[in-house]
Amino acid sequence: MSEKRIDDTHARVSHKLSEIDPEIAWQAWQPSPESPWNGERARLLFRRGGFGASPEDLEYALKHSPSQVVDRMLGDFVGKRNDEFERESSQIASSVRAGGDAERLGAWWLHRMLHSPSPLVEKMTLFWHGHFATGADKVTDSELMYAQNQLFRTHALGDFRELVHAISKDAAMLIYLDSESNRKAHPNENYARELMELFCLGEGNYSEHDVQELARCFTGWEVRRKMFRFNPYQHDSGMKSLLGTKDIESGEAAIDVVLRHAEMPFFVVEKLFRFLVCDEPRPSRSLLQPLVNRFIESGYKTESVVRQILESELMLSLWPVGKKIRSPVELAVNLIRGLDATTNLDRLAKALKPLGQALFFPPNVKGWDGGRAWINSSTLIGRSNFVVDLLGDGNTRFHGGALDEWLKSQRISSLDGWMEWLSDSLLAVPLKPDEQLRWKEQISSSTNTNHWRAALITLSRNAKLQLS
Amino acid sequence: MKRRTFATGAISAAAGLAIDSTCQGRWMRTLASELHAQSSSPYRSDRVVVVIQLSGGNDGLNTVIPHRHELYRKARPKLGVSSTDVIEIADGLGLHPSMKSLDRVLSDGRLSIVQGVGYDSPNRSHFESMDIWQSCRHKKDRAPSGWIGRWISEYQASERPDSLGVHVGAESLPMAFLERGVQVPSVASLEQMRLKAKVEQVGSTDVGGDVASSLMKGDERGASEGDDAELGLLGFVETSTSAAIAASERLEMTLAQTAAPTGFPSSRLSEKLQVISRLILAGVSTQIYYVTLDGFDTHANQPAAHEALLRQWSEAVAAFTDRMKEAGHEDRVLVMTFSEFGRRVAENASLGTDHGAAAPMFLAGPKLPNLLVGDHPSLSDLDDGDLKFGIDFRAVYAAVIEDWLGTSSLKSLDGDYRRSATGLQLFKNRS
Repeated sequence: MSEKRIDDTHARVSHKLSEIDPEIAWQAWQPSPESPWNGERARLLFRRGGFGASPEDLEYALKHSPSQVVDRMLGDFVGKRNDEFERESSQIASSVRAGGDAERLGAWWLHRMLHSPSPLVEKMTLFWHGHFATGADKVTDSELMYAQNQLFRTHALGDFRELVHAISKDAAMLIYLDSESNRKAHPNENYARELMELFCLGEGNYSEHDVQELARCFTGWEVRRKMFRFNPYQHDSGMKSLLGTKDIESGEAAIDVVLRHAEMPFFVVEKLFRFLVCDEPRPSRSLLQPLVNRFIESGYKTESVVRQILESELMLSLWPVGKKIRSPVELAVNLIRGLDATTNLDRLAKALKPLGQALFFPPNVKGWDGGRAWINSSTLIGRSNFVVDLLGDGNTRFHGGALDEWLKSQRISSLDGWMEWLSDSLLAVPLKPDEQLRWKEQISSSTNTNHWRAALITLSRNAKLQLS
Repeated sequence: MKRRTFATGAISAAAGLAIDSTCQGRWMRTLASELHAQSSSPYRSDRVVVVIQLSGGNDGLNTVIPHRHELYRKARPKLGVSSTDVIEIADGLGLHPSMKSLDRVLSDGRLSIVQGVGYDSPNRSHFESMDIWQSCRHKKDRAPSGWIGRWISEYQASERPDSLGVHVGAESLPMAFLERGVQVPSVASLEQMRLKAKVEQVGSTDVGGDVASSLMKGDERGASEGDDAELGLLGFVETSTSAAIAASERLEMTLAQTAAPTGFPSSRLSEKLQVISRLILAGVSTQIYYVTLDGFDTHANQPAAHEALLRQWSEAVAAFTDRMKEAGHEDRVLVMTFSEFGRRVAENASLGTDHGAAAPMFLAGPKLPNLLVGDHPSLSDLDDGDLKFGIDFRAVYAAVIEDWLGTSSLKSLDGDYRRSATGLQLFKNRS
């Protein structure tokens, strides 16, 4: 067994992705005396499968196995806690939905990300929101955006094919891609193209002719009174062929043809890999193959792939540490959960915009590119200002109280202790001794005389805070 | 504390901080003079290009309109613009009526329309086509790299206090700027570039040695997949952080002494051009600015949306060129507008148009010799329902890089488009 492992003591420096054996990568990780189940591994699991570990999560994790932690992140064994959470969430939902402002939906969702007992479901809902990107700026109806978000949640870890069928009849999606009315005279190609290019297959796996034929298959699909409707009088009943299949009778049958394309599982699994494991480099097809097999065998259940990735040798060997750039949502929620904090949710939702990730307002149908695209001068300044604003906001509480009181309750009494606590709980990649020294110098030269706060503000300009 | 400038151009940052600066300077100069020899005119380091990207695919056929053409009327029964409404610029050819704020620019001879611009084997995916326009490369390379990024890596001299390129907008940095060793500031707004809490020195990132060593390893966004992905991302974020702080400080110093130029209409594009005009008037030595205007993907209900977008674009360009003229900068500031593709000749049934191919580009600002460059694409000889291109977009870029900026376009465009550029005679009487 021991040679069948990724050597985790050196994993982070010695392995290129291309050198990792696909057979070993995806087998279930097992603890051993040399590589025990510990806080570092648990934190990685919570960062990738959720939005970071709260102190309580960490305590649970260390008493249970990785797969039990994944079970918990999926929402099993939550019972009463879940009822309370859902009650609170639906209260927030009714308040923000009454206002009809899609920007405020972000506050409702952030509350779920911060407090849901099943963070993996929220994480995957965010994944699908970016995958089937739909912007409230064009849809303009916050109820439809809310309904779509619930659809993503329902299907977050289920059968991908069902999700594609459902989203193809989702009113917000159809409005976003101009498919409220598809008439046979001149079919609209927008949804047809993006279904193949961005949702299922990737560019290069279909022809322009396929786009035109698929658009014909969707004729008669409409949105009426905010609902999907099929209008048989507008359906082009002529001969249609798509991706080599002839005589396609309906839009549903056409979707099935797209879903049966051999590239579909690779396309979806690669995107899941990038979301959960690393921003770069691109994985080889041979590395993805075992996950693709699992995806197909499971009946295209997203859960099976996600679970295999999270519990894998590749993940828990710690290879992925520091290999993703935190998205703005991950940074914000991770920070707040890590500090056991609460804050004004509406303001938090708004604060994500200058960081480049306003929930319900993706930049275009391709969603957020992620990775290095999160980072530029304005978003980096924004990330630092975000921390300054969070600390300066009178509504921000730490376990219900002031920062100083919370530190006392955590038995943190020295700056060194606080710095150590911050690096352990917020940084994926630890600071080197000289970096720690420099950090301390910055804290003492900061214009902010509160050292507790200055430590966080200076940390906000450290590149390592941006890594997951 | 070491105050750095807007530079962020990685080469200059590295040169100023760690590498022997005389050596670096000499290398730069040698390289630059060699390259100047290949260019037709001397490097005009005071000249500026503002690139406006119309995202989504602008309907060129309803922008520069062959309004009397029988095939146009036939292809656009509902979306066609009538002959009585267009702004006639040549016999049978008119601009969309919403572009009337360009009247003065037109009558001053400060506008050029390059017709039928595109490229071979057009891609109808927004993202692929935009990548082609920004990278000037057809095939996917391992490392993303763009034409402006490559130009900057060639011309960013260590003496220059500012980055040669600046992106103004809240979206991600456009691929056009990506290149190994190049850091370009992205200014979402002046407000967003202001650091709220001042801290002397920042992490390991504000220390010259570290920055330089990570630059030498090529840790920027355009870098190819390194040997160690973790160091790659970390190094990238570190250099980006120090560049961001330097840019923020430079902006604050520069803008403290200037007021925002007035006379801009209130629109998203105008706000961005107002920021750029402020930077130009403040003496920032950036040469290529880049902004985007999104919303041109008009698959449905096109008329109102397209009209509003063309109006926004025309008003912003008119206001910007007016400010430049008033301040005496009209002969050094050029605005170049493009979109990733035009739209299908035939309208669809949703009062919209689907993705197409060739479309016009626009140049504005200085006196330009020809209002119309190239022919309007044929309406009868189509490529699967789309207009065929007559002018490769890289020829237009080449003309701007060679004749307007006086630099070599070979590395930037990853090919030699100089002959076709000369044929266009975009700036014939100008350089």
